[in-house]
Amino acid sequence: MRNSLFQLPDELVLTALAQAFSCRSFQLRSLATLLHPDAAPCQNVVLYGTEATGKSAITAALLARLEASEDDRSPDGDSRLRFAIVNSVECITSRHLFESVVGKVAQALRWHGPSSSRCETVSQLTVELSKMLKYAPRPDGFRFVLVFDGIDRQREAPPTLLPALARLAEIIPCITSVFVVTSPPANFLHTAFAPHIHFPNYTKPEFVAIVTAGGPPPGAPALPNTTPEEAADLWARFAAAVHDALARAATRTLPAFRHACDALWPRFTAPVVAGTRGAREFSKLLIAARAHFQDESLLDPGIIVAARPPSAAPAPPTAIPGGSNSITPQASSKPHTSDLAALLPTTARLLLLAAYLASHNATRHDLVLFSTHHHGRRRRRGGLSVGVGRGAGPGRSKHRKIARKLLGAHAFVLERMLAIFAAVRGEWDGRYVSREGGGLVDGMDTDIGMAMATLASLRLLVRVGGGAGGDAMDRGGKWRVNVGWEMVRALGRSMGVEVEEWLIE
Amino acid sequence: MAEIEDNTVFQQDDHRAAYIFSAPSSEDQHHHAASSAARPTKRRRVSSKKDGSKSRQQTAAAAGEETAAARSAFTPLFNGAESPDAVRLRAESFETAWPVLDARIQHVLREANRNTLDEVTSFIGNAEAETTQIPAGIIITGPNIASQDLLFEQLADTLCKATQARFVRLRSAEAPNLKAALKKIIKDAGASGRDDDDDADDDDETGLSVGKDGRKYLNYDLETLHVALGANESPRVIVAFQDSEAFDSGLLTDLIALFHSWHDRIRFSVLFGIATSVQLFQARLLKSTARYLYGAQFDVVQAGSVLESVFKSAVAGSQAMVRLGPSLLRNLVERQQDQVAGIQVFISSLKYAYMCHFYANPLSMFLAADGHVDRQLLQPEHTQAVRTLGSFKAHVERAVEARQLNHAQSLLDDDSYLVDQILKQGQRRQDHVMRLLRSLHLITAMGILSTPFTDLYISALAEGIDLSSDMFAVVDPIKRLGPDGIISLIRRIVSAIETGSPELDLPGWESEADELMAALGEIRDEVETLVERTKDNRNPLKSKYGAQNKVLRTTVVAQKVQLSRDTATLTEEDNAFTKAIDSLADILSQHIHCDPAESLFLHEAWLYDSKSPYRDVFIPRPATTFGRALTRPHDYLGCACCGNAGGAVASTLPATAILYHLYLEAGALINVADLWSAYYASVGDESELGLDERTALVHFYQGLAELRMMGFVRQSKKKADHVAKLKWL
Repeated sequence: MRNSLFQLPDELVLTALAQAFSCRSFQLRSLATLLHPDAAPCQNVVLYGTEATGKSAITAALLARLEASEDDRSPDGDSRLRFAIVNSVECITSRHLFESVVGKVAQALRWHGPSSSRCETVSQLTVELSKMLKYAPRPDGFRFVLVFDGIDRQREAPPTLLPALARLAEIIPCITSVFVVTSPPANFLHTAFAPHIHFPNYTKPEFVAIVTAGGPPPGAPALPNTTPEEAADLWARFAAAVHDALARAATRTLPAFRHACDALWPRFTAPVVAGTRGAREFSKLLIAARAHFQDESLLDPGIIVAARPPSAAPAPPTAIPGGSNSITPQASSKPHTSDLAALLPTTARLLLLAAYLASHNATRHDLVLFSTHHHGRRRRRGGLSVGVGRGAGPGRSKHRKIARKLLGAHAFVLERMLAIFAAVRGEWDGRYVSREGGGLVDGMDTDIGMAMATLASLRLLVRVGGGAGGDAMDRGGKWRVNVGWEMVRALGRSMGVEVEEWLIE
Repeated sequence: MAEIEDNTVFQQDDHRAAYIFSAPSSEDQHHHAASSAARPTKRRRVSSKKDGSKSRQQTAAAAGEETAAARSAFTPLFNGAESPDAVRLRAESFETAWPVLDARIQHVLREANRNTLDEVTSFIGNAEAETTQIPAGIIITGPNIASQDLLFEQLADTLCKATQARFVRLRSAEAPNLKAALKKIIKDAGASGRDDDDDADDDDETGLSVGKDGRKYLNYDLETLHVALGANESPRVIVAFQDSEAFDSGLLTDLIALFHSWHDRIRFSVLFGIATSVQLFQARLLKSTARYLYGAQFDVVQAGSVLESVFKSAVAGSQAMVRLGPSLLRNLVERQQDQVAGIQVFISSLKYAYMCHFYANPLSMFLAADGHVDRQLLQPEHTQAVRTLGSFKAHVERAVEARQLNHAQSLLDDDSYLVDQILKQGQRRQDHVMRLLRSLHLITAMGILSTPFTDLYISALAEGIDLSSDMFAVVDPIKRLGPDGIISLIRRIVSAIETGSPELDLPGWESEADELMAALGEIRDEVETLVERTKDNRNPLKSKYGAQNKVLRTTVVAQKVQLSRDTATLTEEDNAFTKAIDSLADILSQHIHCDPAESLFLHEAWLYDSKSPYRDVFIPRPATTFGRALTRPHDYLGCACCGNAGGAVASTLPATAILYHLYLEAGALINVADLWSAYYASVGDESELGLDERTALVHFYQGLAELRMMGFVRQSKKKADHVAKLKWL
């Protein structure tokens, strides 16, 4: 049987796989050649390419098929090809990686020998693998393929990890290590030549071909008055249009493209379902659905995908009439704005605003903003509006800096924030004044401490500096506000405060 | 014996508002040292005595034991003159009153979450079929972290039952990093299943981490969980992140990616408890991570409506024995809106009010169930206490005004007459509460006022219910109603009377309201016949109060515009309708009426309206307390030497207090040498105290260290030999 030195793997296997993974037959054949015991097995193989280009899936499928065909060839169990795939995402530490490797290899080889409990370093890994692969009797031409999936994302990886793994084959000759990475730096294995197989992103015809092969989303109902051929044709043209509209610019991965197609399809075919247009009128359909193609929420669907269960009969996404601005069941339509103002009680809101002022005003302006010394009422200088109005002269515009509120938040001392809080509380909270008889209560009570702790646990206020783990009520501690301008402005308006008036550029 | 006395003194001291520390003078330092040395032995002896008494009590009746227990918890009032039976009665009344309410409150809270629970359960159950992503229930819980616990506990119960899944609750404090989080997930998810099969608990450690083939797993390896759950057909694990905001976003991302990677072997679902908003939460996740999630948003019942139902059942409900007074209640409710105080704080405030009432008010004894309070129990102190009450005074004055002089005289002079009156008050109280609740229920059933129930109740307590007052202004809106409105209003009132209110624990009182029902029925019949009669007419039936009857008429006379109001002419039927409306309004204002609670005689026995211990306990102000204690230490020390100092510095004050005075006068940075010289000037040789330098220095150091301990000063890096002032407010 094995008369020839070089023999390509069984063509039947490759053809079947090439059909399953369309547009990847070059990579598939190269990989098969480099892995198959009869072809050109090599020590290390690097597969690289951006996400969702089929690296892991093709490797796993190919190895499974090759092993199965080897099993057929020698039914007595002396298969010449075994493999193990270790996914680095699932490995928390490098020790975890090593122990997973040992476990998976033992499982693949159906090894029942004694196993040691610990495997913390690469050398221990080598010892364990040698026990199973090097010294145990194996059939002629035996190859063991060890796939490290996403090894460049391994957590807590020592710097020597990759070169060491690449050298495994020098000690155990029957090993082929496959490294699946995103974009390898040059010579990252620190070893002599290792064949690289590039999985490039798909081109437009490939994208369209793959999506067309998949067919319309299974959930969508069949189009009325349309033959299957017409529907398939419409789907293909539709996929190309979606690619031009979205995929070229933004959704560059296959799953995202597929998701966009699935999401748009019901809206695109709504006129056909409603019977107002035929499936052949592609351009008219396209114009009718133009608004949907410009919908950016498709690109970033967000985490809220499911319609709320209580809205009992789940509105079928296809039941949308041809109107262009009808409400879509997915994303962006429902007002999810359960904003902070409704959630936080008054004190916490005031504290948050005071913290924002403390973070975004310079300390030297505090006297101007909050002092009541001269005027009885606080002099506050207008923020942006006044500043721009006066500083319109030609000389001053050159010195204009970036508005402080556009810069990041600065750290402030807790005592200063509490002082600002005490100063603005009487002015902003009408009920507070009437309740406490107009006088400021000296000192802070526990309610304020509780509000601080709540804001901190919600990460709206963040402790910064060296004493981050220290006492939360330390008056000298440094804090920073962690909400943006938009939210603070909305929060201020919910209490009738224009925060802008209290900011000094 | 001396020690026993000592003990009672300690107990009394425990409950005083301010503790006066009797400073040991230099002579009895020895004595003090001896007593402090003797303290542990005393404790031991007390405990041995307890044992002894216990052995003695074993022979005694169970009732005796109860008495002892009650006596230990509640102290006799009236300076110790209260009889043990009365004390026991107070303790028992508290112990019967509170659990009833507590059970009701818990029921209300659990019911409030039911809707959310059902939604989440059906989502988690169905999401599996719809997607390959990880189902993620995002529950907006609001910022109150304390109330999340109950919700997640219920979720764990329901989901475990409904989906046969393992439920893991993660709090940010328990999962500081990935390893710890995974360990907890594996431990909890593995353990919850192991309860079923009666595997011995002792191999808990080894049993989990060793697989079938003898392979050992790391304790953060999800493979462990996979193997442990392997026996099940389809292992499902639900991981709930209770306070998602507090989790490190990197940790969340890692965990979600890991769950996704394992999703083909272990079916993970996640739940997030979110306090702020989904947008903020989503902004913290990577987009690539967010794509793994198949999310749905769930809202928990708003805190306001939970408060209202707890309020209805526990504060206003007819089962609430103690009525909380209007000012305390207003305070509690406002605190719910203004401060970060969840419903739990409200409930514990309520419980605290009950405790205070029964603990500190000897008259609370009258709240005990009927038959428990009798003449033997009432001591002379009780009658004496009753005579000092404000409500007693008002009652007597009213009696005098009403010319019931004998009654007033007997109240003042005759103890047994007063006791008779006191014993009658229990029924009066119940009548008053019933009247109050029924009136309130009718007003809310009318559906005319949009004021929340809490406000209505509070003002009803404070000012009574009077339909002509501003708070309960329902008469005018009723008068403006049309015939249909009147009929449906009457129908609503009748059904409210028939069914009562389960929330308020108010049964229907149809049988007691014959007169009202009959009158209402009469008016309804009359209006219906009037409607019937005018059906053929073109003009619909109207009353003189109706809005459309006032017609604004413009007439131009001699180039002047005159505006005049005209009332449209009313037909005979309309007049009859107007009369019916008038009588309806009369009947309602006659029946819906209630006096303010404080006008009742002996309301002090059942109305608790004191803010002071509540504020001190629930809203302590450490800063103010420290400041006051340091400014006027003699108020607390009770020593003779500094009493006449007022608020000024005196050399006899403790060193810390003197330093605090100096501290208040200093700027942001304080030179310690200056501070020392100022201090020494006030206590040193020239002063009346005349300390030598070494002693003064020791006191100075001690005082400064104490100031630092209390967080007033801190070592400054800006200038050598200076301390920074930390507290300004």
